[in-house]
Amino acid sequence: MSEVILEAKNVFLSFRGVAALSNVSFEVRRGEIFSIIGPNGAGKTCMMNCINGLYNPKQGRLIFKGTDITKMSPHRRAAMGLSRTFQKIELFGGMTVLDNIRLGRHLHLTSGVLSSCIYWGKTSREEIEHRRFIEEEIIDLLEIEAVRNEVTGMLPYGLQKRIELARALALKPDVILLDEPLAGLNLEEVEDMARFIIDINEDKQWQVTCVLVEHDMGVVMDLSDRVMTLNFGVKIAEGTPSEVQENPEVIKAYLGEVEDLYVSRR
Amino acid sequence: MSYLPCGTYFESYADDHKWWRTSFIQGKMIFMLVVLAILPYVVDSQWLSVAYTINYYILAGLGVQLLIGYCGQITLGHAAFVAVGGYTCAMMLLLVPWPQFMVDGGLAYPVTIVCAGLLAGAWSVLFGLPSARVKGFYLIMTTMAAQWITVPLVITQYVAQIGGRGQAFAIPPDMIKIGPWVIDTDTKIYYFSVVLVGICLLAMGNMVRSKLGRAWIAIRDNDIAAETMGVNIVVYKLIAFWVAGFFAGVAGAFYLSALFFVSPEHYEWFFSLLWVGIILIGGVGSIQGLVFGAAFVVIVFKLLEIAVMSASSALMAINPELGWMTTKFIFFKEASFGLAIILFLIYEPNGLSYRYWQLKNYFNLWPFSYTGK
Repeated sequence: MSEVILEAKNVFLSFRGVAALSNVSFEVRRGEIFSIIGPNGAGKTCMMNCINGLYNPKQGRLIFKGTDITKMSPHRRAAMGLSRTFQKIELFGGMTVLDNIRLGRHLHLTSGVLSSCIYWGKTSREEIEHRRFIEEEIIDLLEIEAVRNEVTGMLPYGLQKRIELARALALKPDVILLDEPLAGLNLEEVEDMARFIIDINEDKQWQVTCVLVEHDMGVVMDLSDRVMTLNFGVKIAEGTPSEVQENPEVIKAYLGEVEDLYVSRR
Repeated sequence: MSYLPCGTYFESYADDHKWWRTSFIQGKMIFMLVVLAILPYVVDSQWLSVAYTINYYILAGLGVQLLIGYCGQITLGHAAFVAVGGYTCAMMLLLVPWPQFMVDGGLAYPVTIVCAGLLAGAWSVLFGLPSARVKGFYLIMTTMAAQWITVPLVITQYVAQIGGRGQAFAIPPDMIKIGPWVIDTDTKIYYFSVVLVGICLLAMGNMVRSKLGRAWIAIRDNDIAAETMGVNIVVYKLIAFWVAGFFAGVAGAFYLSALFFVSPEHYEWFFSLLWVGIILIGGVGSIQGLVFGAAFVVIVFKLLEIAVMSASSALMAINPELGWMTTKFIFFKEASFGLAIILFLIYEPNGLSYRYWQLKNYFNLWPFSYTGK
């Protein structure tokens, strides 16, 4: 069992008296795919936003690579190696695909104001080096060569999801938070995306720990090493996919009182 | 390598990163440089002054384009920073005891240009600080505050009174000197402006295609996503304000060479609006658009001025008693600017640069008519 890379301890989050998360604790270990599932409004995305720093939990602590990140701003968490994709697409619509992914390299570029103005020598070399990395590692991996010079806002939804993953990967993160990467995709795109998630998790070059929020149970149960279930902001189960699938609390949360099959949407 | 960019493929990343990537573009740029170089021998001095006014508007509008077009921070007080640049330059030339060798060697003016840029940048950052907290509409109000605080209050009431000079700071003619060249004729002012605009546009273009510019565009398009990708939003907004202020300061210091004096009425709020209008006409978020917009506005103003002048002299020739009517249409110039902005927003919201882009694409694909990507 490998080391714990991300840990949430007793996280509470509320919006004006509505408890979004209450007393949620979990541990994510290096190299695994950890899924968070739950019915709509269970607080999955809230949990993601807390980890990422867009929300500040009222109580509790978040520990990333042994450092307490509870009070850190999102960009400092990104600098520590925490990247994410969004449930609703949050790309930079006016930029090309290549520029979107290049922005993910932001923290790895070192040029300042004056050297950017001159764009000679070091800055130019650096840009070309990172361009090579993006083109040959990320764009090639995610198979978006054909659209890389297009303006992102115009592209179809499935591709935009993939570009979000590419941008998150460009950060070269240790942990990537995938917030519903499969929502709204067709069957072929779902299979592609699932393959990419496995690739980035297992490939020697990437070995990214994934925290996955997803409604597609077939994919979640196939991909995940461990699954946590939330319901109304409370953690009701955690364990391997098969354990969670058989947990009566989880079945109740998803299907109400009726004990029925709990299967994939497909 | 063909003449037209259609069907051109690059074999290395370095080739793809070049400014002028094909021989056709290189030819176009060399042609443009030749036109700019021989312009003073072709046109008379009134059109030369139009040319350097265009260049002044480009320099001043560069910061507005950066803030509004690239960083998404709407500013309506940019004339304040140009004023800071102009006054810094004038006062340093007049009040600093320059050593004789710097005056003789023509170093004083270049040094003041840089200082004007730095101080205007700092002043701009001061008024950019609210951008850490407020967005959009509210930021417009704080940038307008920059205008009202700087020009009518600080400059008119305090700075302009230094040395008991009243309002105008006149510069002795020999002080505007770069190296061995004394800038005293329209032709020299024109060449000086072309060189400055060239340097500033190149710097701006390079910033936009590097780390800085991408961070700015990311903040414009989606600030939350930018922050999660590791962009320190507050710092990058302030850098944007600083760079925009720097360009404004350079613009103010440059315009001193054309005016030979500064006075608060050169930096009225109208100019802040004019530069925003220029980028609306030319195209928001495009450096070319800024150039097109500045050229369009200045040339249209000039043509209207000529039209008004000739109309009024024709009127006087017909009947000298009707001279009072001239005053009735002398302000058509400003009104036409408002009309131009309205028409552009309705019929061409992407500005002149978008039209130019469409035209270029058409010819790149010619004779095939399909709309390529």
